Amino acid sequence: MIAVRQAISEALAVIRSGYAQSPEIGLILGSGLGSLADELKPLHGIAYSSIPHFPKSTVAGHKGMLCLGKLQGADVVAMQGRFHYYEGYSMQEITFPVRVMRELGVKTLIITNACGGINPDLYPGALMLIKDHLNLMGGNPLIGPNDDSIGPRFPDMSAAYDQDLIKLAETIAVESGIELKSGVHSAVSGPYYCSRAELRMIRTMGADTVGMSTIPETIVAVHCGMRVLGISCVTDMAIPEQLHGISHEEVVSVAEKTRPKFEKLVRGIVGRLG
Amino acid sequence: MSPFTPALKNSNESDVSRSAEIVRNALGSQVEPIGIVLGSGLGTFAGEIQGSKSIPYSDIPGFPVSGVKGHSGKFVGGRLAGKDVIVMQGRAHFYEGFPMRQIAFPIRTMRKLGVKKLLLTNAAGAVNLNFSKGDLMLITDHINFSFHNPLIGENDDTIGVRFPDGSRVYDQKLNELAEKVAQKSGIKTQKGVYMFMPGPVYETPAEIRMARVLGADAVGMSTFPEALAAMHCGMQTMGISYISNMGAGINPGKLDHEEVLRMDESVYDSIRSLLAGIVAEL
Repeated sequence: MIAVRQAISEALAVIRSGYAQSPEIGLILGSGLGSLADELKPLHGIAYSSIPHFPKSTVAGHKGMLCLGKLQGADVVAMQGRFHYYEGYSMQEITFPVRVMRELGVKTLIITNACGGINPDLYPGALMLIKDHLNLMGGNPLIGPNDDSIGPRFPDMSAAYDQDLIKLAETIAVESGIELKSGVHSAVSGPYYCSRAELRMIRTMGADTVGMSTIPETIVAVHCGMRVLGISCVTDMAIPEQLHGISHEEVVSVAEKTRPKFEKLVRGIVGRLG
Repeated sequence: MSPFTPALKNSNESDVSRSAEIVRNALGSQVEPIGIVLGSGLGTFAGEIQGSKSIPYSDIPGFPVSGVKGHSGKFVGGRLAGKDVIVMQGRAHFYEGFPMRQIAFPIRTMRKLGVKKLLLTNAAGAVNLNFSKGDLMLITDHINFSFHNPLIGENDDTIGVRFPDGSRVYDQKLNELAEKVAQKSGIKTQKGVYMFMPGPVYETPAEIRMARVLGADAVGMSTFPEALAAMHCGMQTMGISYISNMGAGINPGKLDHEEVLRMDESVYDSIRSLLAGIVAEL
């Protein structure tokens, strides 16, 4: 077994062999939201399968490509497709790309996802800024030995989502005429969609949305000192009293319809950060 | 070399087929048998099966073998109320250290044996203050409070879909049928939400209060993994909890496993009539 630090170096060496810039902005693009990465100019794409220690995504709608290039004048690195805990990978493994992005130079990470809306103020197609989260996944990526050169043993999570980035996103949204909600995002392991009783519980606990990603990546990003902005794209309502069965295809289809305003928002944020 | 442990593999179609073949050879061919899983203290129900044949789990590859008292660990096939049934006498639990996907394996094997309807039973502690020891609760829904589940890992699409709908695990028609049977036989039933706890510790009084706030009516250490696996592979499922005790802190006194296993004869008679009555109507 090799140390994670060495694995990061090996992954970095492969990325660096074809790309010299040090992007300070990272993007993780969720289900149906991946196409923003195609706008990078000049686009330098590396398939996850050719990066050492990267798992490969097995989910439809997730492409599995690390994309590097300029967006709105800023150097960015974007994950087109991500890894999920329900795929059977460990929490450490699904968040490995975040650690690699940090070594690549990323200081600000924009994490996005498709999720279910619990708060009735939300609607399919709504965008929600994540103000805080509830980890109901059954684990977290920091369990295990801690490498103090990467981050502290006991990281503070009282402001996991950066206040200044939230304000910036809200400003951009107003300027662009995009309605932006904000709230608490919860994540479960999946892959099954929650039962009604589970949704009632999650609502009681204080969540506005529920998904199957984002939180492990946020935890690792905070641990290694990045500023995080979280954006949830509500693809279906998960209100226990009004539940109808949903399919992954529906989730991807709503995410794709929401994509134009999502992309406009992210472009605006990246432009202002760059 | 990788710093990570290999990704979880889930059981695939060929593992399931192989084990199903071994069970079929031992029990003989059955036509769409009804599956029944017997919970703690209910093992003697297997004695009701006519013309029964059995196979110990230890003879079936891929099967978890439970070491818990009150769970003997075999498949029993035969006839009940004029129907083919296949009964799990004893089950494996998450708290024994079995991976969730292994707890799901016997359910997938039953599906391969033609089981389309599955009756799950368990002993549970009451959270709902209107329940009493000895009550039977029809499970309307569940809360997975272990935050683990048997569908994590690579998915075999020939068994079930990647993202199954967890809001339709317990079949409403089966529950309605159970209520009708209970009414006809003069058996009182409750309905409620079963909260799955990993165990093996019994809950604290604070945890029982939390479970109530979060919407549970009963708590237990089984059934959820099997019900989820059954939904995933397309079975109609129902669950019956028999309230073996009130949750911690509701009444004075300690909880012990002996109390859970000790079932009054009248309670046993009710469950037996209910199960046989449901099977007869299917």
